[in-house]
This record gives sequence, structure tokens and C-alpha cells, in this order.
Amino acid sequence: MSVPTIASAGTVTKRPRKANLGAELARLPLYLWAVVVLIPFWWMIIAAFKTVPELMKNPPTFYPADPSLDSFYDPTLDDPDSVPGVFQRWEDVAGGFLRFAGNTFAITVVVTVVSLLIASLAAYMLTKTQAPGRRTVFVVIISSMMIPWQVSLIPNYLLTSDLGMTDSYLGYVIPGLAKSFVVFFLVQYLRSIPDELVHAARVDGASEWRIWWQIVLPLLRPALAAMAIFVALGEWNNFLWPLIIIRTEELYNLPIALSSLSNAIVSSPASMGVAMAASMMATLPTVVFFFLFQKHFIKGIALSGIKA
Amino acid sequence: MTAKQTDSPERTGAPPRNRHRLQRYGPAYAMLLPFALLFAVFLIYPLIRSMYYSLTDFNAIKPPEFVGFDNFTELLLHDDRFHKAIWNTCKYVVFSVVLTIALGMVLAVAFKSTSLRDRLLRTIFFLPSVSAGVGVILVWKWIFMVDSWGLANTVVRFFGGDNRAWLAEPSMTIPILVTMAVWGGAGYAMVLFVAGINAIPDELYEQASIDGASKRRQFWHITLPLLRPVLVFVFITSTIGAFQIFEPIYLLWRRSASIVGGPLDSALTIVPYLYDMGFNRFQLGYASAIAWILFAIIFVVTLVQLRVTKTFKEFDR
Repeated sequence: MSVPTIASAGTVTKRPRKANLGAELARLPLYLWAVVVLIPFWWMIIAAFKTVPELMKNPPTFYPADPSLDSFYDPTLDDPDSVPGVFQRWEDVAGGFLRFAGNTFAITVVVTVVSLLIASLAAYMLTKTQAPGRRTVFVVIISSMMIPWQVSLIPNYLLTSDLGMTDSYLGYVIPGLAKSFVVFFLVQYLRSIPDELVHAARVDGASEWRIWWQIVLPLLRPALAAMAIFVALGEWNNFLWPLIIIRTEELYNLPIALSSLSNAIVSSPASMGVAMAASMMATLPTVVFFFLFQKHFIKGIALSGIKA
Repeated sequence: MTAKQTDSPERTGAPPRNRHRLQRYGPAYAMLLPFALLFAVFLIYPLIRSMYYSLTDFNAIKPPEFVGFDNFTELLLHDDRFHKAIWNTCKYVVFSVVLTIALGMVLAVAFKSTSLRDRLLRTIFFLPSVSAGVGVILVWKWIFMVDSWGLANTVVRFFGGDNRAWLAEPSMTIPILVTMAVWGGAGYAMVLFVAGINAIPDELYEQASIDGASKRRQFWHITLPLLRPVLVFVFITSTIGAFQIFEPIYLLWRRSASIVGGPLDSALTIVPYLYDMGFNRFQLGYASAIAWILFAIIFVVTLVQLRVTKTFKEFDR
């Protein structure tokens, strides 16, 4: 009976491992969930590279048997049963899909930069100056956060059309620039920064604008990074507002372009590969963005939970 | 410079005169101006206008006509479609929020360490919250396709079931929406919970282990109570977000401009109904009233959640 001795000799070191085995077994459904989480992404990617007949194969294939770029650009468009690829659609729009990607990117950058700048100015004024009335302003800003933005949707639409800004970049961007939650978050963050730095700069004769630019903005960097991620992601995926305000195809952002593809799918399932190719190109940048700024992401989210 | 110094309120201790006040705080107000202006024009003013519209009969062509609370009484007492929308929204909110938080908590407890495996898995779980958008909704549409090549049908057939027309069955709409919400939201809740759990001092667990408390007891008596603020935050924010669901419904079930609520209105929730009334039927007064009811519901639910957690807190003491 040499086996038990080996086993018993091992128990001392093995005990924690045994406990781990139980814990691992309990985790099994969670590993399964990790697979479930990844499946839609996998499904999207493989569908983008499948050929039309393979897309409609029963049962479906779990990897593209014959990878093809037809969903992006189909060179054999003259065939009666081929479907125009992503880059062959929207022929009336110069640049087609790339134009929408460009729109989305430019609007995301502008909205993120401008909304953070004006919010940081407001937050500085509200926390580090003694200007009368600042408390009232802050209370109004916080209160506004309780009201769902859909409440202002209809009047904002009418206002934008009164100003002659519907169906334009201006009407798309400007109404969404004042973001209360950014001000709220930056104020919370600035309150944890001692006033002495600002006082010292003031004594040295620095103007308020210089203090904001040279002292406060650098101090705010972690908070700004966190907020930039939230604002940028929200803008990248912005759907309801452009859906209402934009008519001209030239001004579409990616979500609106995808939504118009989704209508095409219903009439012809063969277009599904094209929709998936477009979805992949719209989703991929957010994933890359996440991997680049993962630390800020997680920190920002954690911060938002703790500050609240 | 000298004049400014002699007049400065710090020196004299007297309230500054208005002119000096403006001089002194001019830059401060100028800094607030860009935000305040946009905030007033595109948020406060629309809110006031929306309040007024909600009391009018207004169809975007003829000028609004004041009707008092008619829109609200119609909505609350007579509009069966709206009642259906509220009921659907409540079902969706309860199931999606509870399941998202429960799963987020389980994931956080199971994978909270800084080991490579845990970090990798957390990244996977969080991925859907990053990529949430129209693209991902289209993938779900593709998965739940009626046809036999849809992924959901393939899985069902694998387990011996028959093809279903997932998106056409009224009983499936809310479960599909909840699945998508949990898939997209659990990782986000997990990240917040992990941050909260890691802020709990290790000594508490060590002490509890010495006293012989099981892992399960430690979770219920240390982790959960100390996580309460984060839990409340996640609860409230995800509830508010869930009440506003629009995009999945619009994209999964819209077949023509006038149909938004899915089969037999089984997926009709408050915001799609608002959209339908406002931008398909141009009943702008009526739609504004819906918006304010949405606000009232969210407001009350948030207050109740805060009150409930406060009661628990007092109960603990």
C-alpha cells in the first residue's frame, strides 16, 4: 500500500488545492458565462467573413469555412444573387460608410473635448471661487440630473428646429454639450483637492483663467480621463438624438447607418453578413479604446461608485 | 493695484460694493457662462417648455391649446396602451436589475483577485458594457432570427427542441430584452463591486476566520453590509437606466415607421411609446406628458430605494 502513503504525504500541501478544486467546480457555470459573453462577438466576426450561401446554412457553421471579404466589398456585384458590401452601399454619399465613421469620430472628439472644457470651467468656478450664487447654481445642476433626458427631448427638437439647426452638425452637437453629471463628478473631485494651491497662485497674481489652465486642469487629469471615456463612449453610440434630428445621409453617424442596414436585413436576410461587417467596424474601435485605456476605465467606474 | 488692495474685503472685512464685486468675480462668472448658457438654453428652458406642452393639445401643426391635466388623466385612466407600456417596463426593470446585480455580485466575489486569470475574466465580462451599441443589438437580432440558421434556434434544436420565431412571440420579448441587459450590464456591476470589496480591510476577514466564521457567513455579515453604499448606487443607477430602455426595442422590432412595440405591443415600454406618440403621430403635448410621468416614476422609485436602504441601515444598528 504505497499509494496511500504518497497521498497522505501530500495532504499537507495538497489541502489548499483540494479546497480550490471545490471552488473551481462552483465557478464552472461562471466560466460558461464567460463563453456566453464572448459568443455574440464571435458570431458577429465570423458572420462578417462568411459568404452569402454559408450565412444561410443549416446548421450554421461556427467558423467561416471559406473566409471572404464580400460583405465588405463584393467584386462580383453583377451576379443577380450577390449583395452589395458595406463599402458599396450609400452610393449617393461621398465616402459611404467611411463618411459615417468619420462623422462619428469627429463628433465624438468635439463633444468630448468641448463638454469637458466647459464643465471643468464651471466646476472650478463652483468650488474654488467665492462668487456669490455658486451654491444655488450647483443645486440646480444636481437637481437637473434627476430628470431623465427624454423629458427635454421634444422641446429640444422644436427648439433646434426653431433655430434652423435640424439636419446639421450644429443641431446634432450643441444641445448635448452641457453635461450635468460631468460637472457634478468634477466638483466632487475638486473638493478633495486643497484650496491652498489655488490661493497661493492667486496671491502670486495669477488670473483665474491661468489658474484653471495651469493648475486645476493638470490636477483634474484622472477625473477628466474617467469622464472623457464616459462621454466619448456615449457619443460614439448616440442614437435617439441623431435619429430624430438627422435626415440627410451625409450626416449619419454609425449607429444610424447601422440602423438603416437593420431595415435592409428584414427584407433580405442575405444582407446579414453586411450588417455584421458594419457592426464589427463600429464596435471594434470601442473595444480597442477600452484596451488602451483599461486602467482609466476601471478607475473611473470605481470612482463614480465611491464618490456617490 | 494699490486701489484694489485697499478696497479688498479681506482687509476691511466689510462687504464689497457691487462694482468691485463684479470686478472681483467677473472672471469667475465668465468661466461659468459657457456651461450655464448651454445648460439654460438646452436643458432648463426645454424643461419649462415641456412642462407647458404636457398641459396642452399640441400636434406640431396648430399652436398648442391649453387643456389642463387632460393628457395626464387620459394617460393614467384611459390609455390601455400606456398601461401596457408601464407594465412591460416594470417587468423589464425588475428582472433586468435584479439579475444583473445578482450576477455582477457573484462574478465580483468569484473573480476579485489581481491574479492574471481573474483580470482576464473580468476583462471578458466587462467587454459588453464597452461595446454596447447598435452593432451589438444587431448581433442579437441575428442570433434570434426566425430561420433555422439563427444561433438561438440551433442551440434549441441541439437540445431537442423545435425552431421558434423568437422575435415574433409576445411571451419571448421581455426575456430577450432581459437577457441582453444582463449580458451587457453584469460586468459593469461587477467592476463596481470588485472596487468596493477590495476597499474592505483584510483584517475583518482574518478576524472572522479566526472566530470560525464560514466563507458564506463572511459574505453575508462582512462583505454585503460594507458594500451597501456601492450596492445602493448600482441599484439606483441601473434602475434609472432600465426605465429608459429604447434602442433594443426600436431595433429588434421595428418593421415599419409606425410599429415600435413588438408583437402585440409585448415589448412596448415607456420611452418607445413616447417616441411613437411624439415622432410618429406628432402628439407632442401627449408625449410630453408621458415624459413627465416617466420622471415621476423614476423619482418615486429612487426615493423608495433610498428609504428602503435607510430602513435596513437602521435595522442593522
